[in-house]
Amino acid sequence: MISALIKWMQRYEGWVGAGGGLCILAGLYLGLVASPPDYYQGEVVRIMYVHVPLVQTGMLAYSTLFIGSLWYLWKRDPIVDNLCHAAAGISAFFTALGLITGSIWAKPTWNTWWTWDARLVSFAVMFLILVGYLMLRTFVDDPEREARYAAVLAIVGFVDLPIVHFSVEWWRTLHQPLSFSMRGVSMSKPMLIPLGIMTVGFSLTFFYMLMVRTQMLYLDHLLTAKKGRLLSQAHLSSDVGSSPSSLSTP
Amino acid sequence: MPFFNVIRWVAWKDLISEVRSRETISSMFFFALIVILVFSFSFSMDQAAARELIAGIIWVAFAFTGIIGLGKSFSAELQNDCLEHLQISPASKGAIYLGKLAANLLFMLIVEVILFPMFVIFFNLDVVEELPLLLLIFALATLGLSTVGTLFSAMTVQIRAREVMLPILLLPLAVPVMIAAVEATRGALHGDPVSLYGNWLRLLAVFDIVFTVLSFWAFEWIMDT
Repeated sequence: MISALIKWMQRYEGWVGAGGGLCILAGLYLGLVASPPDYYQGEVVRIMYVHVPLVQTGMLAYSTLFIGSLWYLWKRDPIVDNLCHAAAGISAFFTALGLITGSIWAKPTWNTWWTWDARLVSFAVMFLILVGYLMLRTFVDDPEREARYAAVLAIVGFVDLPIVHFSVEWWRTLHQPLSFSMRGVSMSKPMLIPLGIMTVGFSLTFFYMLMVRTQMLYLDHLLTAKKGRLLSQAHLSSDVGSSPSSLSTP
Repeated sequence: MPFFNVIRWVAWKDLISEVRSRETISSMFFFALIVILVFSFSFSMDQAAARELIAGIIWVAFAFTGIIGLGKSFSAELQNDCLEHLQISPASKGAIYLGKLAANLLFMLIVEVILFPMFVIFFNLDVVEELPLLLLIFALATLGLSTVGTLFSAMTVQIRAREVMLPILLLPLAVPVMIAAVEATRGALHGDPVSLYGNWLRLLAVFDIVFTVLSFWAFEWIMDT
C-alpha cells in the first residue's frame, strides 16, 4: 500500500533534481565567471550567489515545515509527518550552511566573523529550534505522539522567529538593508539574474531532497510497523507452544 | 466544571501541594542563591561595573531558576498517574493549561521577589524609587518565560531526557524575553526615563499575549492521549 503522494514523488523527483542541478550549474557559471565584481566589495561579493540562496532555501524549508505541521495537526496523516521530519532536517542543513557562508562573507566585508545583528541572531535561533526539533523527535517513543509534539514545536518556533527578529533589530543591527523590498530591487541586472537562477536551483534541490528523504522516512515507518507485526506474531506463536522460528521465515 | 473553576482548582492544587511539600520553591531559591554567589565570585565588580552587568546577571539567574520550577511543575504530576488523570478528565485542556500557568507564574514571582533583595545586597544596588516599575518588568518577563515554559514542561515530561530537553527547547524561544527583560531592567536600574525603554515593555506584552494564546491552543495537542 503506497500512498498517492509517494507515487507522485517517485514520478517527478528525477525531473526536479535534474532541473535543480542544471540551474545551479548555470547560476555558478553566471555568478562566478560572467557577472562583474561589485563596486565596493570586489570579488568577495561572489559568495552572495551561494549565501543568499542557501538562506532563502533554509527559510523555504522552514515554511514548508510550518505548513506541513499545521496540515498534520489538522489531518493526522503520517505521511505529512514524514514530510515535516524531512523538511526539518533539510532546513537545519541549509540554515547551518547559510550561517557558515555568511560568517565567511562577514569577515572581509564587516571585518568580523559574527555580530549580534537581527538576521544573524534570528537565523541562529532558527537553527537552534530546528536542532531542538530533531532532538525532540529522537526522544519520543510513540510515533504518533512524536509527530504531534514536533508539529507543536515547529509552529510555536515559527511564530517566535519574527519576534526574535524585531527584538534584535531594536537592540542593535549592522546587516546591509534588504536588497529586495516593497520599494523595488536595489541590484543591477547582471548580478540579479545569476542570483535568481541560483535561488531557483537551490529551491528545486530542496524539493528533490525533500522528496527523497520523505520516501526514506515513509519506508522506514512501514518497515518499523512490519517489524512490530512480525515480532508480535512471533510472541503469539511461541506463547501457544509452536516453534519461534516463524521469525526467520515470514 | 465551568472553565474558570478548573483554572482555580488546578492552580489551587499546585499551591496546596507546594505548601505541604515546599519542594519547588525551596529548590528554586537555593539554586538561584548559588547562581548569584557564583556570579559574584566570577566577576569582581565595583559599583559602576555592577550597574552595567547586573541586569544580565539577574535575568540569567531568574531564567535558570524558572527552568527548575517549570520542570518540576509537570514531573510532579507523574506520581500516582496524575498526568493521565489530567489527560482523560473532561475538563477543558485550555483551563488546565491556564491553571498550571498561574501556579508556575506565582512560584517564579515569589522566588524573584525573595531573590531581588539579595541582588541589592550583594551587588550594592540603589533601587528604592524604581521598585514598582521593576516589579512590572519582572511580572511581564516572567509571564513570557512561563507561558512557553509551561507548554514545553507538559511536552518534555512525557519524553526521555526531559531534564535536558526543557532548557534546549525553551531558551532559544525565550531570546526576545531575555533581551527585552535585560534592556528594560538595565534602564530601570540606571534611573532612565520610562520613554527610553518603554518599547521593551511593549515587546514583552506582545510576546505574553501571542504566546499565551498560542500555548492555550497548542496545549490541547500536547495533552491528547
